[in-house]
Amino acid sequence: MIIIGEKLNGFIKSTGEAIACRNEAYLKDLIMRQKQAGADYLDLCVADGEHEADTLNWLVSLAESVCDLPVCLDSPNPETIAAVLPKCRRAGIINSVSLEAGKIETLFPLLAQSDWSIIALLCSNAGVPEHAEGRLELFERILEAAARFGIDESRLLIDPVLHSLSTEESSFLTFAACARAIRKRSPKVHIVSGLSNISFGLPARAMVNRAFLVLAMQAGMDGAILNPLDRDLMGLLYAARALLGEDEYCMDYISAYREDRFGC
Amino acid sequence: MSGIDEIASAIETGKIKLISDLVLEAVSSGDDPMEILNRGMIGAMRIIGDRFSRGEAFVPEMLISAKTMKKGVDTLKPFLSKGATSANGQVIVGTVSGDVHDIGKNLVAMMIESAGFEVIDLGIDVSAEQFMQAIQDNENVRIVALSTLLTTTMPAMRAIVAQINQLSCRNRFHIMVGGSPITEEFARQIGADGYAPDAASAVLLAQSFE
Repeated sequence: MIIIGEKLNGFIKSTGEAIACRNEAYLKDLIMRQKQAGADYLDLCVADGEHEADTLNWLVSLAESVCDLPVCLDSPNPETIAAVLPKCRRAGIINSVSLEAGKIETLFPLLAQSDWSIIALLCSNAGVPEHAEGRLELFERILEAAARFGIDESRLLIDPVLHSLSTEESSFLTFAACARAIRKRSPKVHIVSGLSNISFGLPARAMVNRAFLVLAMQAGMDGAILNPLDRDLMGLLYAARALLGEDEYCMDYISAYREDRFGC
Repeated sequence: MSGIDEIASAIETGKIKLISDLVLEAVSSGDDPMEILNRGMIGAMRIIGDRFSRGEAFVPEMLISAKTMKKGVDTLKPFLSKGATSANGQVIVGTVSGDVHDIGKNLVAMMIESAGFEVIDLGIDVSAEQFMQAIQDNENVRIVALSTLLTTTMPAMRAIVAQINQLSCRNRFHIMVGGSPITEEFARQIGADGYAPDAASAVLLAQSFE
């Protein structure tokens, strides 16, 4: 399971303020706590429309100064990614590409020349197709483009796109249908999602997010952008992996417990 | 409980199966169709909107109320004079170019429609040209509402508002903006007339322009 820590995101109010006033101590603490909690990557999103690349560069340097976790460069703007990626010490994940005009052409060449991986959203300029069939057509186009640029499928993290349950009752069912079909089509690609979209507009959102994680893992999701500081969520993640037969002798579950990543 | 109060209560609680019969009963017992619309329906949507803004009601409850109202309006329409359900004028809505998110925009469109406006939804990834064409094609436009979820498309919102502001017919409509990265201050800076943080507030803002 690929765990991408979500806390360094400027859309989270406290993080956004810390980024705006360059509060290094606060951000370093968030970085270290996510690492200790079991994050494999640190998502970095500065949510700064005016000086996005500069601010993101600064945040990458800060993260690299405190730990060796690879980063997940999070921007809808491919130019920002292209400006920041060459300055990163380790290969990480680009978040994200889609079939919106120009994105593949800007981002895939960066992958062809490096060891980076990439999150690919199943959407285009026409938006996100309502049904699984339409999203799977976009998935095929992503695979074709990856092959054209010589990018191995194992470097693709496909995000089938999760709409909010409050506005679309079949949201998770469509997501799960996509995940199963993608897994069947390609055993090598990864399937990822953020957890928080699903619970928009509902009370006690953490409950919905947790239920989603477990159900999505059974549908084939093997990566998530989540809050690793949520101990109950992390406990569910390790338990679900073990239940799905992906944790021999439950060793990872036991180790994570010993490392105090969950439990009372 | 009077017929109109029952209609209001059915809309507040999303009783979609009951609404048509309640409307027909109220009409046949002599209630004024305009009062059914204004007090029974639009009034009820205002109440659910207020509860939503206070965090006491949630998105699915707002959705089912709006759907109930829509069904009630369909039943009521033959008894109303033409145009009564969109008497507040036309509202153009769209997500700005470069952004394909539509959930917030759709919620705003639905709530504004429930408040007695006619909504012209241009969809996602909408260019300045498309907004301006729609403004020129619809002479009863009172409000143009722009949405974006991304920080990276805030400059596109700024550019579109700047272009719309050049139109010679600019004084016949208001511009409102919203979306998660947008603030009151940003709205003012780019020359919009107002900002709303959520769908229910967008309705209050739209009504405040009257």
